[in-house]
Amino acid sequence: MSTKEHREPIELLQGTLDLLILRTLLLGPVHGHAIAKAIEFNSEDVLQVEQGSLYPALHRLIKRRWISVEEGTSENNRRAKFYKLTIKGRRQLAIETRKWDKLAGAIARILRPTKQEGES
Amino acid sequence: MRRRKRMLEELDEDIRDHIARETQDNIERGMSPEEARYTAMRKFGNVTRVKEETREVWSVVWLEQLIQDTRFGLRMLRKSPGFTAIAILTLALGIGASTSIFSVVNAVLLGDLPYKDPSRLAMIWGTNARHGVNETPVSPGDFFEWKQRNTAFQDIAASYDNEVTLTGTGNPQLLIGYAFSSNYFTILGVAPELGRTFSAKEDRPGAAKVAVLSDKLWRGTFHADPQILGRPITLDGEPYSVIGVMPRSFDYPQGVQLWMPAALPDSAASDYQQYYIRVMARLKPGVSIAQAQAQMTALALQIDAEHPATDTENGVNITPLRRELAGDIQTPLLVLLGAVGFVLLIACANVASLLLARATTRHKEIAACAALGASRGRLLRQFLTESLLLSLAGGALGIALALWCTKFLVSIFPNDIANLSIPRVENIPTNVPVLFFALAATVLTGVLFGVVPAMQSACANAADVLKESGRGATPGSRSAGLRRILVVGEIALSLVLLAGAGLLIESFERVVHGSLGFQPDRVLGVEVFLAANRYPKNQPDKRRSFVRDVLQRMKSLPGVQSVGAAGTLPLTGFWGPTDFLVEGQALPKPGETPNADNRFATPGYFSTMHISLLRGRDFTEADRDGGRRVAIVDETLARQYLGGSSAVGKRLNLGTPDKPEWWEVVGEVSNLKAFGLERPDLPTLYRPYEQLPVGLVAFTIRTAGDPAALLNSAEQAVWEVDKDQPVFQALPMSTLAAQSVALRRVSTMLLAGFAALALLLATVGIYGVMAYSVAQRTHEIGTRMALGAEPRDIMRLVLGQGARLTAFGVIVGVFAALVLTRFMASILFGVSASNPATFVGVAILLTSTALTACYIPARRAMRIDPMAALRYE
Repeated sequence: MSTKEHREPIELLQGTLDLLILRTLLLGPVHGHAIAKAIEFNSEDVLQVEQGSLYPALHRLIKRRWISVEEGTSENNRRAKFYKLTIKGRRQLAIETRKWDKLAGAIARILRPTKQEGES
Repeated sequence: MRRRKRMLEELDEDIRDHIARETQDNIERGMSPEEARYTAMRKFGNVTRVKEETREVWSVVWLEQLIQDTRFGLRMLRKSPGFTAIAILTLALGIGASTSIFSVVNAVLLGDLPYKDPSRLAMIWGTNARHGVNETPVSPGDFFEWKQRNTAFQDIAASYDNEVTLTGTGNPQLLIGYAFSSNYFTILGVAPELGRTFSAKEDRPGAAKVAVLSDKLWRGTFHADPQILGRPITLDGEPYSVIGVMPRSFDYPQGVQLWMPAALPDSAASDYQQYYIRVMARLKPGVSIAQAQAQMTALALQIDAEHPATDTENGVNITPLRRELAGDIQTPLLVLLGAVGFVLLIACANVASLLLARATTRHKEIAACAALGASRGRLLRQFLTESLLLSLAGGALGIALALWCTKFLVSIFPNDIANLSIPRVENIPTNVPVLFFALAATVLTGVLFGVVPAMQSACANAADVLKESGRGATPGSRSAGLRRILVVGEIALSLVLLAGAGLLIESFERVVHGSLGFQPDRVLGVEVFLAANRYPKNQPDKRRSFVRDVLQRMKSLPGVQSVGAAGTLPLTGFWGPTDFLVEGQALPKPGETPNADNRFATPGYFSTMHISLLRGRDFTEADRDGGRRVAIVDETLARQYLGGSSAVGKRLNLGTPDKPEWWEVVGEVSNLKAFGLERPDLPTLYRPYEQLPVGLVAFTIRTAGDPAALLNSAEQAVWEVDKDQPVFQALPMSTLAAQSVALRRVSTMLLAGFAALALLLATVGIYGVMAYSVAQRTHEIGTRMALGAEPRDIMRLVLGQGARLTAFGVIVGVFAALVLTRFMASILFGVSASNPATFVGVAILLTSTALTACYIPARRAMRIDPMAALRYE
């Protein structure tokens, strides 16, 4: 139900964080701290997320059943919670990515109208 | 649910784990362990908020928070029981008063009407500017013109009152009957409970006589006889057959016991002389009352032009049925509803002011909450929960109060009043709409008085408050300003209420001290309608001897001082005008013929009623049928048409110019309030009963003792003369006089009560603000005294502040009252809505009360010990 495209994110930032988490999990199950690290690292530190805000986002995704949790042990043999993309989540990621591309393209066309003319 | 529980239980651990990992990373980057942990914490953000937000994801949070807030709120309220009690009591008074008045409004003005689409129903009354009347029955001629030529109505129907005597079912009974044209029931859209209503064929002169009974009559007199349909009954000696019984809910016109066909003859269409038709109409779809009024006014002008002799200055007044039914009580009720609304607002302002004062003492607690991660919204919710708890408690107590009040209101509600049109109210239900109103009032007040203090507290900057030292900067300076505004508002609202109450009290005084024109104490009135079959018009001697015999018997009753009779009792408002011409005066233009209220009197009537004979003589036994025709006029008639003092000896023509019928004026009496204390005097003409034997007789008996004690024997006197003659009503004249001011008394009393309540609340309000202000300024006042200020100066300082607030409130209030009292102009009597004396009076009352309230904190300020004050905090 919640995978429907018309479910509009309440805030751009909130939706974006969700998207980034989903993208990170595409590579395989990761624990919480590692997700934060991965986002920071992959965005070359451009996206400095307040790490705490990760948790409400994770819970939101779990509630929507886009990701699931499993217990496991981390690199240094510590017990940890791994977050994993569900099938539903995978589908949602595709939808969200398409939406994001559309949005980014639209904004880019507004910001750089000359380029758009050149392309067409 | 289980998933949620597990997730949340592990959240703490997850966060701890996260921070530990981040710390570890930082250490690996070369930070000291302490620095590493601090940086990790900072990077993570506010832990409490993260937890809160995560909880919120699992959405039932609001419920948890509500429970939490409620618990916390209850604890806070318990901690300051004085504040809580005052706030709840104040709100209970406001909500209780509003709810009880609303329940009356709901029962009287908003109750369901048992008619089809009642908002489309209206009465069409006649008006006449020259006679100063605006709600009279109309002539059948006018009615037929309207019926044929109107464009605004789907249908219009005629009716007239028709009292009849029912015989053959035990004691003779006078029934309040009404004649309806056959489409009347169709227009109302009501079906009978049993049988049918009359057909158009039955609504013709000479058709078989039929009647429809009211539920009450059917159940009472006919013992709910299931075989009633087709049963013959005797009305005024003629056989009628019952064809239907109306449902219990049908009570129109109010109190009517049976309905008969109007059966207007064809000749009635050319009768423009007699005004007795009451017209009911149903508007065409899409036509508004205003449009109908405009169209009918235009039509009335055409008809006036076509019938100048009879219709000059006749107009039309269309009254929606609902307003018609509400009658005289609508405006007083709406004024009272407005008044309780004001009381509720004042109560809100008081509680808001208390909350503001308390919030300033709680600002540190609030700042700490904010610093610990409580969001603004969360704090706002917490405060609103507290204020809603207060208002809910107040509302619950208020509803209890309202239940008690409505019982009281029913007991003082002026019911069964002969001379006022007021809907009958037997009970005032506390039903769903009333409870909904109470709940809405409760929640609204909770938000209203809660939101300002809540915003004030929740939005204060946490860092500023925490940094602020206890003394010096005045943390509450903004909220103190708000409280002053609230007090000014309260005083202004109270002034409006006091002005309204003052004007009503003034009106009441003028009404009750106005002259009735007669002395009602120790007079009993007994009204009878002579049955048309046994006292027919063409046998006037039967009527004369009946009246003579009854008077004779009444006179011989023990304790009776004098007796008399007239057509109707004063104050009951029967209007039966007659045209007349004055001998020796030029013929008036068509439509300008003088006219007077047409009454009769027996010898002894004026002296029994203590109506003063100003000139000439009273009627005597010698003024008999066949003798010289004589008349007595009242002051108004003498002044308007007979040149004042020289009325006696003039002759009036009550016939036509061609066929004169002369009556000689032999006396002049003082004016009498025939229609009620508040109605203007109309010119009145009295003639002796012997010479004008009409079918409507009101006996009056002056007694030595309590007239009520004579009630039974007076009725007996009637029945001794004719055992089949019912008595319409018998009551002491003082009861009638009291009834005619009953509605005014009740509404004045209630409004005065609400104004007093408003004054009390506003006084408490200004006292609270001043007392708090003195407490806040202890240090400053101490300094002033240490620098040489006299106690007198301090007193002046504090009183000055109070006086400024009061003056401000009074000024705002006077302006508001000047606007608002205009809405009650129609229920004022003898005073203008902006009567200066009233306004000055209430302004002085309010100012002195408010200053007295300020005096107590001012004295406390005067007694401040400068040394103690300077050490204070």
